[in-house]
Amino acid sequence: MSRQTQTLLGFDRLRKEYFGVPAVTDLVLDVPVGQVVGVIGENGAGKSTLMNMIGGVVPPTSGQMFWKGQAYAPRSPGDATMLGIAFIHQELNLFTNLTIAENIFVDGFPTRFGLIDRAEMRGKTQALLEQLSLDASPDTMVDHLAPGERQLVEIAKALHRDAELIIFDEPTTSLTPRETARLFETIERLKADHKTILYISHILSDVERLSDRIVVLRDGELVAEGPTDEFDIPRMITAMIGRELSGLFPKRSAKPRGETLLSVQGLSQPGVLDNVSFDIRAGEIFGLFGLMGSGRSEMARILFGLDPYAAGTVTLNGATLAGSVRDRIRAGMAFVTEDRRAEGLMMDASIMDNLSLVSIERFGRTPVALLDEKAIAAKTEALKSDIQIKAGSIAVQPVRSLSGGNQQKVVIGKWLINEPALFILDEPTRGVDVGAKYEIYALADRLAAAGNGILFISSELEEIAGVCDRVMVMNRGEVMGTFDAPPFVDTEILALAFGEQAKTREVSA
Amino acid sequence: MRHTKSMIAAGAIAVAGAAATLPGTASAASICFAFQDLETEFWVAGHTAITRTLEEAGHTVIERNANEDANRQLEQVRDCIAQGVDGVIIIPQDGESAVTIVNEAQDNDVPIAVFNRPPSDLSNGIIVVADNASIASQAVDFLAQEAIANRQGDEKLTPLIIVGDLGDPNAIGRKDGFYEAINRYPDDFNTPIEVASEWDAATALANLEAAVTANPDIDLLFTSSDFLFPTIRSVFEPRGMWKQRGEDGHVIMGGLDGDATACQLLKEGYIDATGVQDLYFEAEAALNAILSAIEAGEAQPNEVIEDPGFALTSANLAEREMDMWGCVLLSEGFLDN
Amino acid sequence: MRLFLSDYFVLYLSLAYFFALVPFLPTLSNPANLANVLSNMWPLLVVAIGQTFVLTIAGIDLSQGSVVGFTSVVAAMLLATTASPDVLSNAPIWGIILTEEGGPLGHTSFGIPLAILIMILVGAAIGAFNGFAIAQFQMPPFMVTLVTMIVISAFAIFLTQSENIRNLPEQYILLGKGDIVSIYLGAQDESRIPRREIYSLITYPMVIAISVAIVAHLLLNRTVFGKQVFAVGTNRKAAEISGVPVRRIIVLVFTISAVCATIGAILYSTRLEAGRPTLGEGNFLLDVIGATVIGGTSLFGGKGKIIWTVFGVFFFVLLSNTLNLMNLSSFHIDMVKGSVIVAAALLDVWRTRLMREMNA
Repeated sequence: MSRQTQTLLGFDRLRKEYFGVPAVTDLVLDVPVGQVVGVIGENGAGKSTLMNMIGGVVPPTSGQMFWKGQAYAPRSPGDATMLGIAFIHQELNLFTNLTIAENIFVDGFPTRFGLIDRAEMRGKTQALLEQLSLDASPDTMVDHLAPGERQLVEIAKALHRDAELIIFDEPTTSLTPRETARLFETIERLKADHKTILYISHILSDVERLSDRIVVLRDGELVAEGPTDEFDIPRMITAMIGRELSGLFPKRSAKPRGETLLSVQGLSQPGVLDNVSFDIRAGEIFGLFGLMGSGRSEMARILFGLDPYAAGTVTLNGATLAGSVRDRIRAGMAFVTEDRRAEGLMMDASIMDNLSLVSIERFGRTPVALLDEKAIAAKTEALKSDIQIKAGSIAVQPVRSLSGGNQQKVVIGKWLINEPALFILDEPTRGVDVGAKYEIYALADRLAAAGNGILFISSELEEIAGVCDRVMVMNRGEVMGTFDAPPFVDTEILALAFGEQAKTREVSA
Repeated sequence: MRHTKSMIAAGAIAVAGAAATLPGTASAASICFAFQDLETEFWVAGHTAITRTLEEAGHTVIERNANEDANRQLEQVRDCIAQGVDGVIIIPQDGESAVTIVNEAQDNDVPIAVFNRPPSDLSNGIIVVADNASIASQAVDFLAQEAIANRQGDEKLTPLIIVGDLGDPNAIGRKDGFYEAINRYPDDFNTPIEVASEWDAATALANLEAAVTANPDIDLLFTSSDFLFPTIRSVFEPRGMWKQRGEDGHVIMGGLDGDATACQLLKEGYIDATGVQDLYFEAEAALNAILSAIEAGEAQPNEVIEDPGFALTSANLAEREMDMWGCVLLSEGFLDN
Repeated sequence: MRLFLSDYFVLYLSLAYFFALVPFLPTLSNPANLANVLSNMWPLLVVAIGQTFVLTIAGIDLSQGSVVGFTSVVAAMLLATTASPDVLSNAPIWGIILTEEGGPLGHTSFGIPLAILIMILVGAAIGAFNGFAIAQFQMPPFMVTLVTMIVISAFAIFLTQSENIRNLPEQYILLGKGDIVSIYLGAQDESRIPRREIYSLITYPMVIAISVAIVAHLLLNRTVFGKQVFAVGTNRKAAEISGVPVRRIIVLVFTISAVCATIGAILYSTRLEAGRPTLGEGNFLLDVIGATVIGGTSLFGGKGKIIWTVFGVFFFVLLSNTLNLMNLSSFHIDMVKGSVIVAAALLDVWRTRLMREMNA
């Protein structure tokens, strides 16, 4: 056998079931040494479960794993680390209050005479950082590093532990284009050092560019596998979703109606928003684009009554809104937040409890009267099939066990029982795969067609352009301009977002 | 009080443990000894006195420490009763919970004795109480006689009393005993100086310093508790008033409690007397009373046993030393640790 | 595995523990002892139920013990039928509320319900204060309730100058000690039934505690309020954005906790037949939080059941009882109790992980 085809990690009929439902089905696969293997699949395809089994987080139900030909059955994440498996997650596992060097040596400080040998720590860290071309002192607090730099620290940590297999899980989510480019260079270099890489991403063009081989999972099964040259992006998509995708975005099914639903006038809060005004009509998907720090999410929070504002009025259905979140909900607002784990869901609670949370007060005549549990079950079950949440028993299964796309459907779904009029969707497709994205767009279209208004906030230009009826662009808390009708041109939107040609190219005010 | 609304008399089911309750077995009785805490040396001594006496007489002792929690003590006594003990001796957390626990035991036909800290209601149970006034008066009487005997010239003498927290009946009793003794010699003593301590060393220190500064010619000092002797020393020593018997400037001093420090000071001659509860008398009296009640098959013995106490003085130190619990502790090396 | 994750796990554990020890400690199964175990369980259960609500929203209530002491004094100073000036004349309430004729409600027919109402209002006010400070000023529950604990317990001691108030009305004492149904298991033809063989079967504390447990169970699991309590405990931010009145819930939960402590105060102070400012001091909180956590309620919030607390309290009381029967010293008993609580906390972590693995 030549070196290239030697197997580092192998799977033989590997299977994992939750509640009797298979998440990974009899997987047979070999990961060759020194190659970059791109792993793609929709959320819920079994990628996370597979990675959790490799990492020793969950044990397989049946089947076996092999590491360099030996049976491999990790009992804890520690076992995986010891063998030389490292994970670079989308959420980084660094201590932001420690220095780079301390983070790298956190699981075993070098000592001299019983004291931590800082000089050795610094020296070794310096060498690792140079290897990764990260120009920072080992004594820099991780807190002060940009997301891309933090990721390099994670990689340095993996190298320090002599990892042979490095698994990247959605590594580019929070990176700037330049940081992404640097990450790719690093991965090339790791490959040159005969490190084996598993690269998981939704960004198919990146996978195509980096990988030597591609593995496609769908519904827990291996549906396609082979050298990257045999795959182009359409084939990847077809393999992932199991059908031809007619387009990335659904066609709008109805035109916005004329009447104004939400009217925002002169909304200001020093340092956050400066005199923001806009209207959303019934049946309209109103896009809001802005870069980080443009005030897009801050405005959403202010509209929803979570944060204070100094001046301006918000009118919904002709009634001026004031007061708390509860008043806004009563007036017909719904808010799907940017961070669904932290602000949208009770991860360990059941799907039913999550779906009924917003409307729970409808099911008991008074706060202390007994709940109508049958009605709750009926309503939430209906909701589940209506918006097609893929889950077993919604009364038992915790939201944590759902894929990202299905979790997002729960976040949207929990508002629907109350039949609100205006939906604020902040980054509704973040961390969601291609197929589920399409479903969320379709859901937004359906809600709009029913006469609701939607404020669609996104930092993805493509989806803003593909889904919205109008697009407003913000920069530093100010409205830079609004595009009234498609086609929306990427470069024009971006130019406004960067604030380069403020107001002069305004399409309407 | 138990209010039995209805009673179900079920068939005869043998009950384990109940067999041990037969009267007449006092020759080897099982006694539950429930005490509230062992945090002060006095309680350590009392605890040892009782358990030793019981064990030496061949009785089984079940010990329960309530850690200053009255509810826990109640639960412990109930557990003892369920275990089928023949009698209960408690050192209660306070007078009020003592009444409840005595009633609890008597309701279950178990004889109970209360040791040392009297219940607020003395009518039920075997109750051993020390008479603070009598003890204080015995000690102060000796101090007064000493002071008169050592008087130079014929001026009236100036006595000083450090009083305790007057919310505490013990403190009141001790103060009364002091006045009773001093008033026996109306021609020899000025009106006593009262120094408040609130049973707190810091308060005592401040007040005593003020009092001594205002009246440097104190002839006799009585502290309502021995635990204040170190405080007194820190006030007296810099003023040249902390002297042994026979030395010039010795102030006649006495206290009450009889702890190990007092015993040592008495032996060294810095103080002249201390009033003592006769712990060994109390332990024996409580034990005898409860054992004879068990023997007689009496389930609710009620009796108040008074401990007159005594004063250990420079004069009787030799004979009665070992009757004072503090000296026993001292001889066992208590102050060395 | 199913057994391990079952709601009844702690009950099975208790029963296993019980039957394993019976051969070595015959007194354990003695009816008198069982009656003791039950009677020790009820007051603790009522207080632990309050703590369950607080732990469920990821809070902690350290002030429960001081509320027990303080409210027991409040009721006693209103209800005492006589009072001794020797003991209490130094207390600031002497002459104002309490006199030699007892408290203002001591001799009235409606006195007991009114005094209980007043003490519950006082307890509720303390709890509401805790909740308000925590919800409105975002202060950590640990800090707020620690301060409340110190202040309230000092105030209770000040009110009576650390004295206990005795001479409570018989009807009131009945609430803590009264039997409704007693049982006699001895021979039927005894002319004089030995009193120590009459065992309490159904008592007022039992009825009170079980009623509180049922109401609390319904409240926590079957009402809008209960669902919102869980939401606040599971993810406060998500709850707030979903329109849960988070602040109101926090205030109410701490109020419930203090009211439960107040009901506990009735049971504790009547079984000791006195209002005691020092009730609930010392290791009391260890017992309350320990029993609740042993039951399975998580200290991290979002996970709590009244039935768990019932079993947790049962196990805890059984544990204390057996340790007593083994004639261990109180230091050893506290050491064992402490270790059991640590074990329970570990078990909780373990169970949670297992649960996640099965679901994740």
